[in-house]
Amino acid sequence: MTAVNLVVSTSAVIPASVAVPLGGAALMAGFSRFLPRLARDLIAIAVALATTALTLILTAASAGHPLIYWFSGWRPARGMVIGIDYAVGPLGAGMASLAGVLASAALVYCLRYFDSARGRHHALVLIFLAASVDFCLTGDLFNLFVAFELVAVTAFALTAYNAGHPAPLQGAINFAVTNSLGGMSVLMGVGFLYARTGSLNLAQIGQTLAGRHADALVVVAFALLTGGFLVKAAVVPFHFWLPDAYGSAPIPVCVLFAGVMSELGLFAVIRVWVTVFSGLDGGTGPRMRAVLLGLGILTAVIGAVMALAQVHLKRMLAFLTMSHLGIYLIGAGLLTPLGLAGASLLVIGDGLAKSALFLGVGVVQHQRASVSETRLHGAGRGLAVTGVTMALGALLLADLPPYVSSAGHGLLVDAAERAGLPWMELVVAFSVVASSGAVLRAAGRIWLGWGDGESPGPDTGTADDPGEESESEPGPASAEGAGGADSGQAERDRAGRRRRAPLVMVLPPLALLAIGLGLGLTSGIEEHATAAAAAFSDRAAYATAVLGTAPVPPAGGIAVPPSSVVSAGGVLTDLGQVLAALCVAAVALDRRSAGLRRALAAGTGWLRRLHSGLVGDQVTWLTAGLALLAALGAAALH
Amino acid sequence: MSVLAYGVVAWLFLIGLYGVVTSRNLIHMVVCVSVAQSATDVLLLEIGYRTGGHAPVFVSLPAHPGPAVDALMQALALTDVVVGAAVTALLLAVAVQVHKRAGTLDPDELRATRE
Amino acid sequence: MSRRARLALFAAAAAALAVTLGAGLAGLPSFGSQLTSYARLLNELAPRQRHVTDVVSAITFDYRGIDTLFEEFILLAAVAGISVLLRPLSDEVRELPEDKAPDRAIPPPSPAVWLLTVLLSSLLALTGLETVTHGVVTPGGGFQAGVILASALYVIYLGTNYRTVERYQPAPLLEASDGVGAFGYVVIGLLGLLAGDVFLSNVLGLGGTGNMIAGGTIAVLNLTVGLEVAGGFAILGSEFLDQTAVIRTKSRRR
Repeated sequence: MTAVNLVVSTSAVIPASVAVPLGGAALMAGFSRFLPRLARDLIAIAVALATTALTLILTAASAGHPLIYWFSGWRPARGMVIGIDYAVGPLGAGMASLAGVLASAALVYCLRYFDSARGRHHALVLIFLAASVDFCLTGDLFNLFVAFELVAVTAFALTAYNAGHPAPLQGAINFAVTNSLGGMSVLMGVGFLYARTGSLNLAQIGQTLAGRHADALVVVAFALLTGGFLVKAAVVPFHFWLPDAYGSAPIPVCVLFAGVMSELGLFAVIRVWVTVFSGLDGGTGPRMRAVLLGLGILTAVIGAVMALAQVHLKRMLAFLTMSHLGIYLIGAGLLTPLGLAGASLLVIGDGLAKSALFLGVGVVQHQRASVSETRLHGAGRGLAVTGVTMALGALLLADLPPYVSSAGHGLLVDAAERAGLPWMELVVAFSVVASSGAVLRAAGRIWLGWGDGESPGPDTGTADDPGEESESEPGPASAEGAGGADSGQAERDRAGRRRRAPLVMVLPPLALLAIGLGLGLTSGIEEHATAAAAAFSDRAAYATAVLGTAPVPPAGGIAVPPSSVVSAGGVLTDLGQVLAALCVAAVALDRRSAGLRRALAAGTGWLRRLHSGLVGDQVTWLTAGLALLAALGAAALH
Repeated sequence: MSVLAYGVVAWLFLIGLYGVVTSRNLIHMVVCVSVAQSATDVLLLEIGYRTGGHAPVFVSLPAHPGPAVDALMQALALTDVVVGAAVTALLLAVAVQVHKRAGTLDPDELRATRE
Repeated sequence: MSRRARLALFAAAAAALAVTLGAGLAGLPSFGSQLTSYARLLNELAPRQRHVTDVVSAITFDYRGIDTLFEEFILLAAVAGISVLLRPLSDEVRELPEDKAPDRAIPPPSPAVWLLTVLLSSLLALTGLETVTHGVVTPGGGFQAGVILASALYVIYLGTNYRTVERYQPAPLLEASDGVGAFGYVVIGLLGLLAGDVFLSNVLGLGGTGNMIAGGTIAVLNLTVGLEVAGGFAILGSEFLDQTAVIRTKSRRR
């Protein structure tokens, strides 16, 4: 395929990557009552796969230089940008492809997960996918906001899918209120920047602000934009909605959230920072780096500690997601292409592994009607494949080589050392070991029957929400709550043990892990990632590509470091992390460590009580977070 | 004039946040979110305002029409209104179901997601 | 956190946020001063280049048309989401509202109310149609008109009863209108690609400035959006109405 052919063909691929899922969603929404259930499922899966194929083409095609596409034909005139553009780079298109892969896996999983006759999730999932693609490809700040809100609206609706139980409804409220306020914050930031620079285009705003000193308005715009996106990314102190939403959303929806949505928030933060704020005085200085790293470290550590403290499997995975997001923020917050490359590889690898874990928990929930680690003690017999998936997923999240996460981890550690922060590796290791250890502990308890069966504290029973709200059968899977569920529980247990887990639920997680393994074994993946990250981080080249007329050759100024990763030291560190995670799980399950566990529980009780699940508290923290971010931004940029 | 005009934006946003934080009724809370939303609308429209300007509609104009206000900000505010309406509608639907399932509309009484 | 702790933290945080917002707002150009050059350029170009007199419509459907595509889908997603949230669940059943006494029918509305309903809903429908078709000339357009059209249906419910309004808004028709409106926008975008240009190019004839049929695709997009929003808001009203009037918990039926 010559370069010319690629350029010509991608001129239709770029709009198709959003037109296809949007068109599919519109048809689903309008005409789903005329189609049989299987047809709806298959069409939705086909549309999602087609979108994935299109975004993969874009990832390959944009590797050399960014592809700029002007909608409605409005190219810049009189030195001003008039229309909206897509600026497609490999990092953004890669993120969009990940969204496509996970959406396809989630839709396949839904073939059996939503048993009701009128599954209504198809349109919502496809719109979520389209909005994610738009989010990753767009070069316009207001379009970024619109995509942000579209992802949010579909996510709110999907969270509350099991509308017959109070937990998903409460999760949806917490999610919707905090994220809407985040969106409003973003919009105010957009307004401020427009008033100052007269443009809504990322490249043009960045050009106008470049070289200038940041005054109060620019600092406040930075705080509002970054804060709003950090709400979506669930970074401390904007994260309190995350466990409530993830803990009660349906499993396929959690896949989309964990693998794509949180990372989109982080993507926006870095994207806006690179294209708009990095040209300012002090935009790339050590104080800005300190701000981002501080937030990342806090998020990673708090997420890991909270993950260890959970017995509700979905909440545990929610905190694991949060912890890993902190690690990505650390990687990106080093403000070097190497760190960003490490973070992107981690996003891909961890996204696939986290999704596999969620899908595995879903199989357990479907077959055993519970997601409480303690109630499921020993209940894993008969679900061997899922047990292997869970254990493997946890080990891969601990950066077991040769998975793609270990490549990313190596790049991140390398970047931290070059930045003069070698101790960062310990923070990352602690977070990864603690969160993976929690999952391994749960796997050990559920599948191997190790550890105690009673829970350490009062179990409120929220972990027994049934998987799906069935419209056709009025059986025990209804809103009777924990009290009347005992006979129904026994019935479901017996029924579950008789039926085998459906293949469309057991195979997708393995497929996702296989993709990650394949990527990890691809030679040169680190070079590709570093080159993509270097292109992404170059504000001046981006501005020239968007505002100028000629495509820009790859920036020669930023040296791509030689592949230093596949060294014995890197592999040993990764194996050490894996071993440490196994030790954590073993210690947690050992009956003799009960005293240690009680002491840890007492020590972290205040942290657990802070996560009250009350929306008033969460909005208070959001307000405090915005103000704090403004103060930190002023310190960094002023 | 600037202080009052822009002060309204900050006031609306903060009073909306206060309403959400101290709310005892979900419907009230949804309306408070809507109030905070209107702060952003007002900000956009005020940024686009021009003293003595007319609407950006170039039909049936007087002889010396003068400048028009910013049409772009009005288009953005339109989008913001649509987004706000969508979120409000969804939250109200959730509130209806919460009332049925949890028996209460007090957000501080919802304890279903505790560990 | 206890309520007192929450209030204390919020008071401090809100004070700090107030200072922040104040500092940001103080940096804005003074209220009512010069427009940005982007805005001035659009006000100048739109009537000339697109033959429309309502610049807001031109921006919404042409210069920033891709934004509006996603905005329309926000509404579609919200309506789809509400249909999911308010669907009858496994322990609920749909019961049409009927008088509990078996030998008594629901009294029909009085002639005065009936007349008022007919007049008002016709007026709203006409206003809605006028707004959507004149969106390129005067303030208005698809979004605004769609809401007005949907409210014509709400008025019918207010003046009559549930059964009557259900006759006028069959669910398949509303859903189809919603879907076709949204799909239509995508199709018009693709027309641009088929014509060899980019997605969402204005490839139809532009007409004369000040006419109702002008602006090329702007007028057509106005209509599709109006169709979608009208269908969407009608579904919205119908779903909330169902929740209140029709959906009942099974156990009550003993």
